[in-house]
Amino acid sequence: LFQGVRQAQWLTKTKLVEGLPPPVLSIIDNPAHQLEDHEERVQRAISHARFWETTEVAPRREHYCPVLFEDLIHLCRLMSVKYPSLTKRMLARNYRISATWERESILLQVRGQNGILMNSMAPIPPVASKEEILATEEHVLETFYPISPTIDLQEVNVYKELDDTGKSSRFRDGYPYSYPHTVFFLESANIRPNRFRPEQLRAKMLMFAFGNALAKAKVLYGNDPKVLEQPIVVQSIGTDGQLFQFMVFQLNTTDLVSSDGIKNLVWIDSDQNLYEKAQCIPEIKKRVVTKPAGIYGFQPDTFKKFLALYLHGTV
Amino acid sequence: MAASRGRRLLWHGRCWFSQTESADPSQPPDSLYPPIVASATAKSKAAKRRRLEHFNQRVHSAASIEEKLRLYGLLQRPKYMVYPQTFALNADRWYRSFTKTVFVPGLPPRAPSTGAEAPGAVAPEAAKTPEGAGGAAKAPEPGTVTPEAAKTPESAAGAAPCLDMGELRSLACDALLQESFYQNKKRPFLYRDQDHTPGPFLTQLVSTLAAFLSGRNPLLAASSLDLKPEVNYYWHHGEEVVVHGHRKGRVDPVRFQIDDNPHLQIRVPKQLPEIVPLESDLGDVPVIDHKPSKLPLFKKQYENKVFIGSKVADPCCYGHTQFHLIPDKLNRERFVRAHLEDQIEVLYRANGIASLFAWTAAQAMYQGFWSEADVTRPFVSQAVVTDGKYFAFFCYQLNTLALTVETIQNNPRKNICWGTDSKPLYDVVEDGSVKGFNDGVLLQLVHFLLNRPKEL
Repeated sequence: LFQGVRQAQWLTKTKLVEGLPPPVLSIIDNPAHQLEDHEERVQRAISHARFWETTEVAPRREHYCPVLFEDLIHLCRLMSVKYPSLTKRMLARNYRISATWERESILLQVRGQNGILMNSMAPIPPVASKEEILATEEHVLETFYPISPTIDLQEVNVYKELDDTGKSSRFRDGYPYSYPHTVFFLESANIRPNRFRPEQLRAKMLMFAFGNALAKAKVLYGNDPKVLEQPIVVQSIGTDGQLFQFMVFQLNTTDLVSSDGIKNLVWIDSDQNLYEKAQCIPEIKKRVVTKPAGIYGFQPDTFKKFLALYLHGTV
Repeated sequence: MAASRGRRLLWHGRCWFSQTESADPSQPPDSLYPPIVASATAKSKAAKRRRLEHFNQRVHSAASIEEKLRLYGLLQRPKYMVYPQTFALNADRWYRSFTKTVFVPGLPPRAPSTGAEAPGAVAPEAAKTPEGAGGAAKAPEPGTVTPEAAKTPESAAGAAPCLDMGELRSLACDALLQESFYQNKKRPFLYRDQDHTPGPFLTQLVSTLAAFLSGRNPLLAASSLDLKPEVNYYWHHGEEVVVHGHRKGRVDPVRFQIDDNPHLQIRVPKQLPEIVPLESDLGDVPVIDHKPSKLPLFKKQYENKVFIGSKVADPCCYGHTQFHLIPDKLNRERFVRAHLEDQIEVLYRANGIASLFAWTAAQAMYQGFWSEADVTRPFVSQAVVTDGKYFAFFCYQLNTLALTVETIQNNPRKNICWGTDSKPLYDVVEDGSVKGFNDGVLLQLVHFLLNRPKEL
């Protein structure tokens, strides 16, 4: 997407709020929701992904990005000792999403196989209060005239307007883990041009979170556009192995044709570094080791946010 | 013999570099002359022995484990590639002879720590349920795992050590249903059926079970889960005469290399306890008079790797459980069509023995042991070999690494592998439900995951 998050906002009729929402922040601050000696374990996970995973001296991003993600998810899953309802989650890899909506007489569709979805049995409670939702009515969506909002979108002939309720839904009826909880995106291509830049990654996260929420709303409340009394919340985490983007999206309305009225809300916390640099081989200048091998600039807060988003909805 | 000290040139073939001798052992003060030793470069048996001793000395005195591994695998020569998952007939006999392993059918009796849970579990079970069979399901069963057809009712508020079979069963069924039924996936790619459904099912099952059981087993809480790791091991066993080439006629050790890719593996920071004492003798190792290439095994020359799944610096350096997925080209229907039904079990056994030998031996090398410095404590690991529906469980105890010609002569120790036959976890999945779910197999899997040292 050309304009990144701003364009995605217009397409999904969303208002942006910087930082994470208060319920998530309260989970972060609560010391009961932390693993014991989690700093050491997260550092060990990073070392495992960046140094020890293969017999090569420096594993490449294709290797270490998924491994780091798996290790972090493993650490988060171990929290289910304290909170047994965490076992009611299921990871779906290679899942396909398709959702359609109309936006000022332009038919838009989100489709494709992207990322890893985590489903849960219970929905996440809405994070914004009623007043905040009503306050979005006055908010005006940014447009970037004269650039059309659909620039850079692929135009295809859609013969079947598919939502997840359609025949090719990604999960069949009766699936017990019916609420999409979090979508994970791993940018693990080795070459920089093949990876999404942070801005575009955030836009992609927003579009897919919106797609998931919209599909769920259509399942629950039918296809008519209306304002939802019980907003649907879907979270999204994107990373390239070092930089993390966190996002919480709340779908307030499925009435997307017009640009007025209640808008959806999204909270974005962008560009969180888990560590500054991972030195695989010690840097030696003139036969003196200037920088020994190891992890530099470790920030435990990023993992705390990761864990908080994982626990959100069950605590 | 002035050349005995000072620079030594061209040890062990051309690829070794010239280097100065490491610190000479100090001369006893009463001798005026340097010791008379065999030549280092002559084409004689004494010279060869001396070169071998020098190599052993180098490896013994290596500064770090990485250096030791590097020296161990320094010389590259053609070696047999041993594949754990193989279609070869009676491969498990051959693999047992290569690795000096005794195979004991059935699983070892469970350790007392898990046995202590069983009486606590049996009492409330027996009080609540009239079915005696339910209680028997928890008692330790040395030997085969009998499938419990009667579903054990959920042990509700009962004692905490009770394993909640209903909960575990629902986790397993959910994972199975998601992968095979609920999630809409495209048709599997040709001959890639295993990646489509059983692979993700196994990953999902193990990760949720491990998280669920980490409360009971603190070792799991400190574990590290690897997806599709690499496990390699290189060793010598036996002797042969070089057949052709410029080295024709020389007597060489037979070299083997295992390069394995388990589907999933759990590594832990503490070692699993030994099952039987180090010097136990539970059977015989088959002796095969043919050359390994008759199996068929083929030779190739490449890097001699020893790797457990992560490097030496990782604190989780001991293995707990591996999970192997049988690939599509070795599935059961092919064996049945070729009228080779008995080879199905051979496939599972060969996979278990070879993979576990490679893993435990690599773990032992990571602790500094090698064929000249044999292990002082047994290394134990477990494995589950499956093709998505049929599960076979294996348990391996490594008692000796000394398999080379010189070290095997006075070595009475043998490695031991326990294993079961493959049993189905379920009959069929249709219409959103699992038919014929086998609790016994799931219970066995759970007991595998709960295995831990006695102190914990």
